[in-house]
Amino acid sequence: MKPAPFAYERPGDLSALLARLADAPGRVKLMAGGQSLGPMLNLRLVEPDLVLDITGVPELRRAAIEGDTLVLGACVTHADIEDGRVPDVTKGAMARVASAIAYRPVRNRGTLGGSLVHADPAADWVTSLVALGAEVELASASGRRRLALDAFVTGALDVALAPGEMLVAVRIPGLGPGIAWGYVKHCSKIGEFAHAIGAVRLDPGAGHGRVVIGAVEGAPLLVPEARHLFGGRIGPDFADRFEAAAADALLREAGMTDAVARHVHVTVLARAVAQAATTLFAPTRTVSEAA
Amino acid sequence: MSAASTARRDTSLSLELMVNGRARSLRAEPRTHLADVLRDGLDLTGTHLGCEHGVCGACTVLLDGEPARACLTFSGACAGAEVTTIEGLDDDAIAAELRAAFNREHALQCGYCTPGMLIAARDLVLRLPEADERRIRAGLSGNLCRCTGYVGIVRAVRGVIAERRARGIGPTTGGHRGLGPVGARDGHGVAAIRSPVAHARPVSEPQVVQVVEDFEAAHRFEQIVTVAHPPETVFALFGNVEAVAACLPGAALTGQPAPDTVEGALEVRIGPIAARFRGRARLTRDAETLTGRILGAGSDAGGRSATQGEIRYRVEPGAAPGTARIVLAVGYTLKGPLAQFGRPGLVRDLAGRIGADFAANLGAHLSGAPAPAPAGLNPLRLLVKMLTASLRRRLAASGARRP
Repeated sequence: MKPAPFAYERPGDLSALLARLADAPGRVKLMAGGQSLGPMLNLRLVEPDLVLDITGVPELRRAAIEGDTLVLGACVTHADIEDGRVPDVTKGAMARVASAIAYRPVRNRGTLGGSLVHADPAADWVTSLVALGAEVELASASGRRRLALDAFVTGALDVALAPGEMLVAVRIPGLGPGIAWGYVKHCSKIGEFAHAIGAVRLDPGAGHGRVVIGAVEGAPLLVPEARHLFGGRIGPDFADRFEAAAADALLREAGMTDAVARHVHVTVLARAVAQAATTLFAPTRTVSEAA
Repeated sequence: MSAASTARRDTSLSLELMVNGRARSLRAEPRTHLADVLRDGLDLTGTHLGCEHGVCGACTVLLDGEPARACLTFSGACAGAEVTTIEGLDDDAIAAELRAAFNREHALQCGYCTPGMLIAARDLVLRLPEADERRIRAGLSGNLCRCTGYVGIVRAVRGVIAERRARGIGPTTGGHRGLGPVGARDGHGVAAIRSPVAHARPVSEPQVVQVVEDFEAAHRFEQIVTVAHPPETVFALFGNVEAVAACLPGAALTGQPAPDTVEGALEVRIGPIAARFRGRARLTRDAETLTGRILGAGSDAGGRSATQGEIRYRVEPGAAPGTARIVLAVGYTLKGPLAQFGRPGLVRDLAGRIGADFAANLGAHLSGAPAPAPAGLNPLRLLVKMLTASLRRRLAASGARRP
């Protein structure tokens, strides 16, 4: 199918973009790489009056390190992260996530910011960056603010953007020494949206751990302090202490009534925990197998 | 949109592209994607279109030297870019080796996927360090072939990679290109493009669909909302269609053609999707058991997506005295593009959020607060249809018997 007609503008700098976003009449949709919006336009599920292409804004195509934090502009692509064209503060974790998103031609245009704003619950960045504790930087004609990513994603395809506001950058804290990281997703076909995602960021030295279960029906399920999934204590033996029953109870509480779906999610989470144990003691830095 | 709604006009953009090494200057509508620009504008029909939503890979071309989906790259988004189609790879060394290998290994039958397959394969030949079958298969997973079973294709790609690595030609790393989507030049490269906002499209009212008594629901879910009022009061309110519709975000009643039938519309937003469903529902209720059933059908403007469903509701005492639980059992069937896109889980999430708003509005109404603004566009978001359908039904149901 072909999209319904829309007008198209491609501002060359951020202030022009924000001004246009504030004053444009009718239904306005921002577009970065268009890899999520494109299918919806082609299927005529979305029929905006105006598409504002944000890829002409140089500020949105930057990467920088601020202290221990990586700051990526909204238009940085999955392939940019996969190929290492941006700095790495996560010991290759983000490159591995990026390399398994959809397909290479999609990764060459699909962007980090676009993926987060689209907020498909089964998308990779929504879950992995919540687990990494990322923040988003939002801008409008009247100012800027920062928000934790888990507060930004409010539901399936739903984010906390105010009218006239857009995501300009993502701030990712580094994975320090001694932090164990695991990310596993389950797809029946390579490249499709995941049926289950497990992401863990564990600090066995300090006894803390952050666990996220993704590809659920709404926003990813975040457990900011996940000791109870490990028998009350997160130590160097966390992989042996993971309690599948506790994770199952968590999903049941969250309203996942289908026992098969819970089983798949718990199994995938257990694999993420097991992977975290291996990365802690023998860091694997190879980029994932997906090409 | 006053300036925009004056008249139809030429809304096309002027577009400069470097296609297969040749500068081309043309005009294209903003909604036209690169594959149609190439095929219809430049007669480069080697780029094939399959699914047109990024899944099949038939339209894969090189944008600034990197593979990209031509069907998901709109004309303005690649202004100024270098485009290489299958026609432009005649003299490319890797493509020549791949063509020979595809021939040798019988890696094509009908040939429809082949242009995209060759471009994806060429990218793998460049990037993969070795002829690893698993990585080749993963790398080709974005290109669907319905003839060959992939065995010949994978063998062909393996052969070319192995030969080249044996000749000492190493993999490339993805290069030192700038950040951002391939093919998208930044603001300094291409003058800001601006096409006029099209005049407002007439909104066609959807056809009213007839309610069918017996249907098989493809999806079912249950939802429970709690309000701080006694069950009898809540059930009585459910008899007042207007009041219930006013509590339902995005809903509007348009008529009551028969005592047990209502017509209405529901406008729902899920992320960037906004849909307006119009439909009809038949309502029955039983004051003895505080239960009711709403059976409905509806479609969106243009009738491209259609839904059918039922909501059975039961009002029962809540956990605390003086409160009520409303148990809604929703079953629905959805057809059309929304069904193609939608996933049942997203609908449940949307329904959950609409349900929460509905319960809050209902509670406010029962407490004597002014009804929320009727109809219109509440910023509810989610996968449209299913929801809308169930909501519409739900509100319609309440109207069966008015006090």
